[in-house]
Amino acid sequence: MDFTELEGVEGVRLVWNEWPSSRIEATRLVIPFGVMCTPLGPIPELPLLPYEPIFCKGCRGVLNPYCRYDTDAKIWVCQFCFQRNHFPASYHQISQQSLPRELFPTSGVVEYVLSHPLPGLGSSSGMYSPGRAAGAGGAIWPPAFLFVVDTCVTEEDLTGLRSALKQLMSLMPETALVGLISYGTNVQVHELGYADLAKTIVFRGDREVSTQQVHEFLGLTVKQLRGTGPSSIGLSGVGRFLSPVAECEFSLSTALDELQPNPFFKELGHRPKRATGAALSVAASLMEGCVPNIGSRIMLFVGGPATVGPGMIVETDLAKSIRTHQDLDNDRAPHYKKACKFYSQLAQRLVANSHVLDIFACSLDQVGLAEAKVAVDNTGGMIVMAETFDSEQFKKSLQRLFDRDADGLLKMVFNASVEVMTTREVKVCGAIGPCSSLQKKGASVSETEVGTGGTSAWKLCTLNNKTSLAFYFEVVNAHSNTIPSGTAFFIQFITQYQHGSGQMRLRVCTISRRWCDADHVQDLSANFDQETAAVVMARLAVFKTEHEEVFDIMRWLDRMLIRVAAKFGDYTKEDPQSFRLASNFSLYPQFMFHLRRSQFLQVFNNTPDESAFYRLMINREGVVGSLVMIQPTLFSYSFDGPPVPVLLDVSSIGPDRILLFDSYFFVVVHFGSTIAQWRKLGYHKDPQHENFRKLLEAPIEDAEALLSERNPLPRLVVCDQHGSQARFLLAKLNPSITHNSNQQGSEVIFTDDVSLQVFTEHLQRLAVQG
Amino acid sequence: VHGSPDSTVDPATLPRPLDGAEEVKPSGNLNCNPRYLRLTINAMPNAHSLMSRWHLPLGAVTHPLAEAPPGEEVPVVNFAGTIVRCRRCRTYINAYVMFTDGGRRWRCNVCSLLNEVPVDYFCPLDENGRRRDAGERPELSCGSVEFVAPTEYMVRPPMPPVYFFLIDVSLSAINSGMVMVAAATIKASLDKLLGFPRTQIGFMTFDSTLHFYNLKSSLTQPQMMVVADLDDPFLPLPDDLLVNLSESRSVVDTLLDSLPSMFENNVNIESALGPALKATFMVMSQLGGKLLLFQSTLPSLGLGRLKLRGDNPRIYGTDKEHLLRGTEEQFYKQMAADFSKYQIAVNIYAFGERYTDIASLGVLAKYTGGQVCYYPAFLALLHGEKFSYDLARDLSRETAWEAVMRIRCGKGIRFSSFHGHFMLRSSDLMALPAVDCDKAFAMQLQLEDTLLSTQTVYFQVALLYTSSTGERRIRVHTMATPVVNELSELYKAADVGAIASLMSRLAVEKTLQTKLEDSRQACQMRLVRSLQEYRKLFSVQHRTSNRLIYPESLKLLPLYTLAIIKNMALRGGFGDCSPDQRSAMGFQIMTMSIPRLLRLLYPSLIRLDEYLLQDSRGDGPAGLPAPLVLSSEQLDPRGAFLLNDGLSFILWLGKVLPAEFVKDLLGPEAAYTTDSTKIALVEQESVISKRLMSSLQALRQSCPAVYQLCTAVRQGEQPLEGTLVLSNLLEDRSSGATGYADFVAQIYRQVSQKI
Ligand SMILES: [Zn+2]
Ligand SMILES: [Zn+2]
Repeated sequence: MDFTELEGVEGVRLVWNEWPSSRIEATRLVIPFGVMCTPLGPIPELPLLPYEPIFCKGCRGVLNPYCRYDTDAKIWVCQFCFQRNHFPASYHQISQQSLPRELFPTSGVVEYVLSHPLPGLGSSSGMYSPGRAAGAGGAIWPPAFLFVVDTCVTEEDLTGLRSALKQLMSLMPETALVGLISYGTNVQVHELGYADLAKTIVFRGDREVSTQQVHEFLGLTVKQLRGTGPSSIGLSGVGRFLSPVAECEFSLSTALDELQPNPFFKELGHRPKRATGAALSVAASLMEGCVPNIGSRIMLFVGGPATVGPGMIVETDLAKSIRTHQDLDNDRAPHYKKACKFYSQLAQRLVANSHVLDIFACSLDQVGLAEAKVAVDNTGGMIVMAETFDSEQFKKSLQRLFDRDADGLLKMVFNASVEVMTTREVKVCGAIGPCSSLQKKGASVSETEVGTGGTSAWKLCTLNNKTSLAFYFEVVNAHSNTIPSGTAFFIQFITQYQHGSGQMRLRVCTISRRWCDADHVQDLSANFDQETAAVVMARLAVFKTEHEEVFDIMRWLDRMLIRVAAKFGDYTKEDPQSFRLASNFSLYPQFMFHLRRSQFLQVFNNTPDESAFYRLMINREGVVGSLVMIQPTLFSYSFDGPPVPVLLDVSSIGPDRILLFDSYFFVVVHFGSTIAQWRKLGYHKDPQHENFRKLLEAPIEDAEALLSERNPLPRLVVCDQHGSQARFLLAKLNPSITHNSNQQGSEVIFTDDVSLQVFTEHLQRLAVQG
Repeated sequence: VHGSPDSTVDPATLPRPLDGAEEVKPSGNLNCNPRYLRLTINAMPNAHSLMSRWHLPLGAVTHPLAEAPPGEEVPVVNFAGTIVRCRRCRTYINAYVMFTDGGRRWRCNVCSLLNEVPVDYFCPLDENGRRRDAGERPELSCGSVEFVAPTEYMVRPPMPPVYFFLIDVSLSAINSGMVMVAAATIKASLDKLLGFPRTQIGFMTFDSTLHFYNLKSSLTQPQMMVVADLDDPFLPLPDDLLVNLSESRSVVDTLLDSLPSMFENNVNIESALGPALKATFMVMSQLGGKLLLFQSTLPSLGLGRLKLRGDNPRIYGTDKEHLLRGTEEQFYKQMAADFSKYQIAVNIYAFGERYTDIASLGVLAKYTGGQVCYYPAFLALLHGEKFSYDLARDLSRETAWEAVMRIRCGKGIRFSSFHGHFMLRSSDLMALPAVDCDKAFAMQLQLEDTLLSTQTVYFQVALLYTSSTGERRIRVHTMATPVVNELSELYKAADVGAIASLMSRLAVEKTLQTKLEDSRQACQMRLVRSLQEYRKLFSVQHRTSNRLIYPESLKLLPLYTLAIIKNMALRGGFGDCSPDQRSAMGFQIMTMSIPRLLRLLYPSLIRLDEYLLQDSRGDGPAGLPAPLVLSSEQLDPRGAFLLNDGLSFILWLGKVLPAEFVKDLLGPEAAYTTDSTKIALVEQESVISKRLMSSLQALRQSCPAVYQLCTAVRQGEQPLEGTLVLSNLLEDRSSGATGYADFVAQIYRQVSQKI
């Protein structure tokens, strides 16, 4: 079965494409019933229905092609709760010859344009009420973009940032609201709508100001003059602090132009006082006061570590160093827990208001991403790490966020929720991805929690057409209740979101898979998607890093792998040599090998900020991209023919080859020593060596193509064999040859890590022990 | 004693200061000019016993920076080395020191110590024992001299002049037009601010929040930064809130142009003055300077929040009455102390339509050498001109910065109390963050020893300050006065102007500790006791036991005493004067020079109608008609009169003045308005209007410290005529207060009774 092909139609990929129908059998499969779902994945010829969906009155499931229906009786039966529903009056013309689009067999995925947001969806807790986002007549407010700009940076950085932000304004829809907060020691909210002068409202940076006080200080509330009654939101900040781009372009440009590097005295031997946390807290309060529940972004541009107030990660004193992984492990990071708590509270506020946090960290130092990650992750925001605000990596990544679709609309969507409906025998344990729980209890919710569980609906403040969630399911059917093999079961993903046009839309994806007999391991394994399995396991492992020691996670991964090998391998007991894996499983150990070595679990040589970034990224990427992150790809370019994939192994390096390496975050073009020499001699400029020129260009072009697909932009490294930059490649290659090997004359890697071969041998030995 | 008291007083013969401004001549050519320093008696009682019979204040009034007419400026002396001073008492070398030993030593005139003459100051003596160079050296030939001080007189480098403007922009401040006038005046004055090119300037506005302005010279426009955290105000920027005026001139201009429109629609009625002052202090504490506060309403938020407390009539006459005239909030005293310590002088411009608690606010000015200007119920249309003039003068008049002042005197005498606006540092050093040519100070002295051994006593006022040009200077005024042993000598040498000045300051200060009535009584009793003493001395000689007798030098004292009692600061009770006006007047009196005070005590009343119609000069000052007795009997319904108390002009228009005359004078519209408070006097296209205007201009020039706004009042127009004219006609008997003749009779009775 070609799982990628199916993904193209459904937008989902399942680890197991046939499930054993009994709970006990199901648990024996070791690898969870994961589903990688890309809620807004591009589906060719996706039906866009300009009318309201039909909901089951029993479970709020949506009418779909897998329902049983009777066109004569005008009745349909929900496959989730078996409720009989009457078609509405508008469907009275329905017949086998004239079916509504959503009942076409090809309509497993359809999208509805809603005339107004559906308040009932996923709002059991009342926490989620997209209804407030709608203005009069169902029109949706435009999104707001609040820039939060760190001024504790150099003039060069500030210049780069100014031009990037000004360019950004030209990329925004004219009706989009935009606002500016600048901060250093203090936090300044710029009142862009003030006509007479440049005006800011200033807050202290060294403490957190309550939301109510922020509203008061900003004049968003009318303070009661007499008595002690609560103050209420009275005056709108829209027009003052957030204004349509078209209206405030001039004042915003002026404000940006006149931003000065933080003028407060910076003592020698001290870091500048940088009140990142206070700035974000004020930003969140401002947004709560001005655009509550309107999908919007707070975009932080930060140039160094937070050193004062809430969320600080280090003192200003340079004698104190910024926490490392070791410090975190040994509890020597005095500010860490407090900062994490601050950001998780901030995350809750942002999520409750459908506000996204993006962090653009351009700094050689850490800025505190490890602490702030939760707020970005829970809101689906973006993290870009670059060295300066002048870098292409930063500027392009920022611009790409505002990419438009073919209709000229922002690809960015807001205020989304995903709800999962399941067949009775299946329950959802949780989701892992850039989302947060909507706390919707219901028949589909499992008691077992995996990732963010205990709910059947999740909120995504924003997502794009690549954002993927990992859902984890379990089979709850008792062994005694036999279900005939081959019977179908269903899962429905209902995604409501605010489209770039401002429309609220509902995408309904209904999938159908079959129950199978657990005795037929062959069938199970034939329907096993090892790539999805690797990614689902990776997400789980990364999720565990939040609470568990990496060492324990490694052991867990190893145990799981051994159990998988033992169950699905073909071997004679106690004979490692006899061990074989079916082709559907054959790559899985290797994925695990690379996952264990990956930057998601190995923190050596990475800062806590970098780890946070990598973990955030794998938490939202689809199967294909995630696999590249786990096990990078390596292509070899030579005169021998077209580029070919080669082993991710040190032995793949050769003097007359160019390698194109892609680890998702890094794209490396590595010139073998001979090629590099020829290039230095300028052969490629000689018309006689046209082929050489083409050989040099091909990998660069391919690298650029890779870069153009991703956001944030990967870092492109072009290097020569033996050059210092080559380390980016070497670090990722399988150390089949190390300084410990006795092999002469070839490239070696200085490492004590085990090679894939050794790893596989170990696995075989342990698997056959039984 | 026979006859009724009334019959003993013939009003026509009572003494009055109608012969033009009193002129006090310098006594002796080595003494400083009396414009700088006057003693209440130009003689010193030699003994305690003698002094105890002198019941009037004994002390001095100094006006160290008084404006001098051209040609009489204080000479500046730049010593090559250090300034020559007495080793023991630190007196500055002056014209009264005696040189001995062929010019190698000099004897201090204050403490008699023999000092060495520094080598580079040596000069041989002539045959009379006078230094040969005495004529060329101002310090040896003039009573006033200004030394350029070397670095040892500096605790830090001289600071540039700093002007910081703290402006209330709440609803009333905007509606009254105050902000508009302030901004326009400040802008027009920028070129006149002292200390170019070092001058520093800064602004802050406030209502319920504090608004700072970044005036960095590289900006295209000022940046306004709002701080709403009143509990813990902080500076949004470390620098650029106070900037060099020349460098940031265009940014400052932009701000001043924008200020009125920026707050045009402000409906905020709150006033966070206290937090604003705290923040201002943070901005200014590095350099010090002058803080100009423009306050239009009662401070209502944060520290220093004040209560409506002035409008309680029941408190009058109780022993809590005086509390109304002091500050209620300790905050203002503490703030004033901090300001003084960091060389910040506070001038308060208050504009409230309602109670603003000038008593509390004024404390800031009182302890920092500042002043209080009060424009009750300010309206730009009517009062803008005055406010604008006063502010412009404040910004351009000669000012001494970072100053301290001390008055020294000979052995056996000690200054015991000081009265004016300053903070006393140590027992006799007055700290003056800024002091200008419109501020006078008074002090009382005591004899320490029972008997003075010297023939002459010397006084020396020394004001050490930073000039606007950044030089450290010491202005020294020296005066000698003879020691006498007869009471009659004291009477002969009495200076009634200086006495009135000290008496009025003491009376104002007493209102801060007692009921108004008690203060009035105390004032009157001083007069009575003094005249009793005189009567004891001379009753036999005069043989006029049925008349009030007084020494020639003090003939105006009963009149001035009456005037003090009837002054706004002391008069009446709850209904007679708003607490704010009373306090503001008190603050004025505490800093007024003697000539201004006397003008206030006995305003001039002149008849103008005939003068305006004729093309001729009058007999009085400035070519105007001679002043009249200050009595309503003078007010002829056919005439137009001008009442001038030095603070304002009142133009009284008689009922039967020809309508044409009134129309020509006031203009066609104003002539038919019934409410004069709505009329601004503007020059009309008529001869009499032009003549009036130029007369007023001339009068104003003769008394430039404040602008006298002219208000027209029609005869019979109440209550305006009562409050502006009738209550100021000192000699009249008015509700609850005696007239001049009655007062004299009453004094006579009291003087006689005790004997
Ligand atoms: Zn249903
Ligand atoms: Zn001496």
